[in-house]
Amino acid sequence: MGNCLKSTSTDDLTLLNGRSNDSARESIDQEPNLQFQDHIQPNFYSVAGGSNTVQQSLTEDEQIKIAKRIGLIQHLPITQYTDENFQSKKVPSECDICMNDFVVGDSIRYLPCMHQYHVLCVDNWLMRSLTCPSCCEPVDASLLSSFENV
Amino acid sequence: MAALPRRIIKETQRLMQEPVPGISAVPDESNARYFHVIVTGPEDSPFEGGLFKLELFLPEDYPMSAPKVRFITKIYHPNIDRLGRICLDILKDKWSPALQIRTVLLSIQALLSAPNPDDPLANDVAELWKVNEAEAIRNAKEWTQRYAMEDN
Repeated sequence: MGNCLKSTSTDDLTLLNGRSNDSARESIDQEPNLQFQDHIQPNFYSVAGGSNTVQQSLTEDEQIKIAKRIGLIQHLPITQYTDENFQSKKVPSECDICMNDFVVGDSIRYLPCMHQYHVLCVDNWLMRSLTCPSCCEPVDASLLSSFENV
Repeated sequence: MAALPRRIIKETQRLMQEPVPGISAVPDESNARYFHVIVTGPEDSPFEGGLFKLELFLPEDYPMSAPKVRFITKIYHPNIDRLGRICLDILKDKWSPALQIRTVLLSIQALLSAPNPDDPLANDVAELWKVNEAEAIRNAKEWTQRYAMEDN
């Protein structure tokens, strides 16, 4: 809490002004089940915040930070959602981020707190905040500090 | 308009099928990301008996960023300013994509039950809430009656 007074009032006064005239940037939301290989993953990251104008002008420091973050995220294990998962009920049946059901074969990322999400969904979030969406646990503080303070 | 993410469709369906007691959220006819919200003032709060209108907008990158929510009905509350903007951590830095429209609105309703004058957005209201809580609560009740109980 706190800091509310400092947050400058960029809030739209009438939120209807924000009526979406968005165009191309939907693709990330639309394909939560997209399959992809580990090594091409970075292609999918959009820069946190998602403002097009900022994306153009990243400083070198910011680029390094993003690269480190990607490196860190890739240390988190991925498995395929299996028929067993589906039957055991140990794994929830839907991804808390996109709210789509897990389908056998989906790539699932495990966080240290053992919460699971679609890789694409959770990676998109982890680029913004290294916390578990469900329990808010930091995603491995020790790994984080060793990576980000180098 | 670009296609609506499945998540927004699901949330909307669930809000309709299993509405939260004391809260209604209806998508705008022409924009499925904009919701007309009514929250009833919680029992045993100065807002009891009031019907508070809010607007809620799901930004383009929802659920990666929080919904934008604002009170339309005037309300006397230390964490809500004259423009209806709300000081609530989950709408700012404590947002998580595991939260939903439902949980956001429940949190707002809870904020009405538990004003927090130590983390003010409306400074004058918070000040009075701290130095003379009885008078602040009287004001809140009066505003509830004046602005949140009209039948229009």
